Amino acid sequence: MRIRSVLSVLGFILVVVGLLMLCVLPISLSYDGEDAYALAVSGLLTVGVGAVGWYVNRKKSGELGAREGFMIVGLGWVVASLFGCLPFLITGAIPSFTDAYFEVVSGFTTTGATILTNVEALPEGLLFWRSLTQWIGGLGIILLSIAILPILGVGGMQLFQAEVPGISVEKLAPRISQTARILWMVYVLLTVVQMALLVGGGMTLFDAACHSFTTVSTGGFSTKNASIAHYQSSYIEQVIIVFMFLAGTSFALHYRALRGEWRSYVRDNEFTFYAVLVVLASLLVFLAIPFGERDELGKVVQAAVFQTVSILTTTGFVTADYELWFPAAQWILLMLMFAGACTGSTAGGIKLVRILVLLKNGINQLKMLIHPRAILPVRHNGKSLDQEIIIDILTFFILFVLIFIVASLAMTALGMDIVSSAGAVAASLGNIGPGLGSVGAVDNYAHVPMIGKWILVFCMLTGRLEIFTIIVLLTPAFWRR
Amino acid sequence: MNAKRVIGVLGLLVVAAGIAMLTAVPISLLFGGADAIALLSSSVITILTGAALGVVGRSDRSNLRVREGFAIVTFGWILIPLFGALPFLLSNSIPSFTDAYFESVSGFTTTGASIVTDVEALPHGILYWRSLTHWLGGMGIVVLYLAILPMIGFGAVHLFKAEVSGMSKDKLTPRVVDTARILWGVYMLLTASEMGLLMLGGMSWFDALCHSFGTIATGGFSTKNASIGFYQSPYIDIVVTIYMLLAATNFSLHYAALRGNIGGYFRNEELRFFLVTYAFVVAVVTLATLHTNFDGNFADAFRYGAFNIASVMSCTGFATSDFALWVPLAQAMIFVAMFPGGCSGSTAGGIKMVRVYLLLKSVSTAVRRLLHRRAVVHIRLDGDVVDDDILVKVGAFVLFYVGFFVAASLILLETGLDAVAAFTATATCLAGIGPGLGSVGPMSNYHHLSDTGKYVLEVCMVVGRLELFTAIVLMSPAFWRS
Repeated sequence: MRIRSVLSVLGFILVVVGLLMLCVLPISLSYDGEDAYALAVSGLLTVGVGAVGWYVNRKKSGELGAREGFMIVGLGWVVASLFGCLPFLITGAIPSFTDAYFEVVSGFTTTGATILTNVEALPEGLLFWRSLTQWIGGLGIILLSIAILPILGVGGMQLFQAEVPGISVEKLAPRISQTARILWMVYVLLTVVQMALLVGGGMTLFDAACHSFTTVSTGGFSTKNASIAHYQSSYIEQVIIVFMFLAGTSFALHYRALRGEWRSYVRDNEFTFYAVLVVLASLLVFLAIPFGERDELGKVVQAAVFQTVSILTTTGFVTADYELWFPAAQWILLMLMFAGACTGSTAGGIKLVRILVLLKNGINQLKMLIHPRAILPVRHNGKSLDQEIIIDILTFFILFVLIFIVASLAMTALGMDIVSSAGAVAASLGNIGPGLGSVGAVDNYAHVPMIGKWILVFCMLTGRLEIFTIIVLLTPAFWRR
Repeated sequence: MNAKRVIGVLGLLVVAAGIAMLTAVPISLLFGGADAIALLSSSVITILTGAALGVVGRSDRSNLRVREGFAIVTFGWILIPLFGALPFLLSNSIPSFTDAYFESVSGFTTTGASIVTDVEALPHGILYWRSLTHWLGGMGIVVLYLAILPMIGFGAVHLFKAEVSGMSKDKLTPRVVDTARILWGVYMLLTASEMGLLMLGGMSWFDALCHSFGTIATGGFSTKNASIGFYQSPYIDIVVTIYMLLAATNFSLHYAALRGNIGGYFRNEELRFFLVTYAFVVAVVTLATLHTNFDGNFADAFRYGAFNIASVMSCTGFATSDFALWVPLAQAMIFVAMFPGGCSGSTAGGIKMVRVYLLLKSVSTAVRRLLHRRAVVHIRLDGDVVDDDILVKVGAFVLFYVGFFVAASLILLETGLDAVAAFTATATCLAGIGPGLGSVGPMSNYHHLSDTGKYVLEVCMVVGRLELFTAIVLMSPAFWRS
């Protein structure tokens, strides 16, 4: 393994993270600046360490193989989070290392699970940094899912190597870095538009920026304890519903739409499935909301749609305590936690394309039982898929569920009740945020035992990095030479 | 599809069930005969209806097509319990039709979920019939999965290397009846030997007979309210544990062993995986319950853990302890253990160990392939390479199973059942186990469920028993076309 080239890339990542951390300084200073010192020290330290790592190893960087790729992706998130939690530790806003690391991993993985009981007590600089971690995580995910994972062939992602509309390396842009740059532009554009719309709805510029960061990255951190429910504004909820939905769509499709190819949305099997699922799931959730006499129909519908989109896109904002709805509602939401939204978006979870392919395969298997001699390929976007890809997707699904089961059992072993355990693990593995039971919509993760927090940190990282990227690092074969 | 032929075969099956029902009459008379008339008239009705069906349909069994096979199997498991419910209704032991049908479906699918609150109040003839439905259902399953379905390449068993069982697929084809006879021999032998051992442990011959029926079929109906826990006998616990595990083992391995090939047990990867998983779950549950539920008494924790986990993993459903009261970790383990089920070719239900094993293997292969992109890594089972085709089928099966579980659980939740009961009831009925957790735990029953809930669970039992596809295929429009 070319360990030094791995170190040089990790150094580069740290420099970027550190520089972004320093960008928070002016914001901190424009308020009372009580966290400016901590942010400056952490930022400089991060940039310094990163620059040294990068500079010392720069000459060694050459061809990167699969092993180096896995190392960089896996360690990238781990190391960035390590430095990302410095501001929280130095200011003492989150005194425990476990808690601070949990919070920042939850940020960089765009999960949105928090251990903070009173978010509003945090100084503005830290609040901004907390939201920014999700935004940076989102940037990383776009790069990862479009440029890196297909090459590594993780969980059927090679399916998208050249097949997702417009991401063909030759067609969209000559080089991977350019592809990433174009998609990042879409990302920035979405963020800015949402921010403007939120400010138009009466949100302060600061809150609008933070919430846009965490919407477009499908993260879900809020600057308010009551999350979006704080604003009690139909308009703000509608804007956020739309942008969560957009953030759960493949960014490549947005790019094509910006170029005038609107129809590429409709032509994409995964997007169509996503849109249909949002409607159906919202309807199911709507049916499970107790309907009082004084409730307005429109508001109940909006609450159902908001929560469905928030969970399906793995954002995790809340406008209502869904645990007060009929029990069916929270279980439907739990199922949606596994699904996730589209590939090439910032959403987590299993991803809809995988579920769609597995569904199509299931239907084919039924048809083949009736017509044993028929050979029916599974088609996606008009192309028939290799059996190998179906098996890759299948193993991904199995591993996802397996990790969910094992981690949930481990959480129950720590003394948590079954519902909270399953909810916490599903919400972490799918990068959603709020779970069920004692980690539900209006609760937080502060009370989870320390080992439990580390299990959830593992789940967040594993889920975010498409499972196999982390699992492969844990196999002895990876380290054998 | 030839509907007449389907009706004809169904008629024969109904007649067979009616004749089996007739054997409950002497038992009933032996114990006072309060239910003798109900049993006699039920079996007469059953036999006559079956005969009528047989006459209406042609009883020509040659050249059954795959579609007709699916239809016979699925409708068989729906229709026969209908007649099986007659004794419960006519004797007024279970006055409601929904409840009686639930009990009968639960019997024939070897599930063991009961709506009877006080089992001990039932007359002996009815108790015997209740356990016999298990035994008949188990017999049907063994023949179906080891003799009939392998011919059309369906089910988990055909994944196996044929020589292990000493019954190669090619040799088997022309002699379904011979194979069935051999399997029934094994089935009878296991039942008789367990009955003998239970009687040695002080059980009455009647209880021993009923519990043997319930064990070998991995059913789980008991003649006592406290199930096997009634006897408070370590000896009986051990005997039943061993027989539950034997019943969850591929019956062709038993057959091979009887012919002298004991090594078959050790060479069979599925059985090895089943036992290792069983040992692991028992170890975790024993440690989890040691201090909380058993006051640090290791012998007790182990004894109850070993019995109840064997009961769940073999899909039997007997209980010696109310595991719905164990610590959350133990309950969660039991819930998870409800899914894999026993070995293929046994009377156990669930996903089947071989499928879980293959998928786990494919996960580890996938990880290896990430590092060596060009390497061709094959998955092997008992030394044979497993085709990608089979993996895709197995995957589709597991997803349908989980999908069915999720859908049925959500319907139960909509009927107002609490989450723990809804999820475990579905899991346990789909796998053919019986008791769940919470309000459907081993010391409770299914009486309190809504009618909708009971019918949903009946569908789960039948669909799960028939390994999903046979039943799902019937629901697809393509099946009925042309």
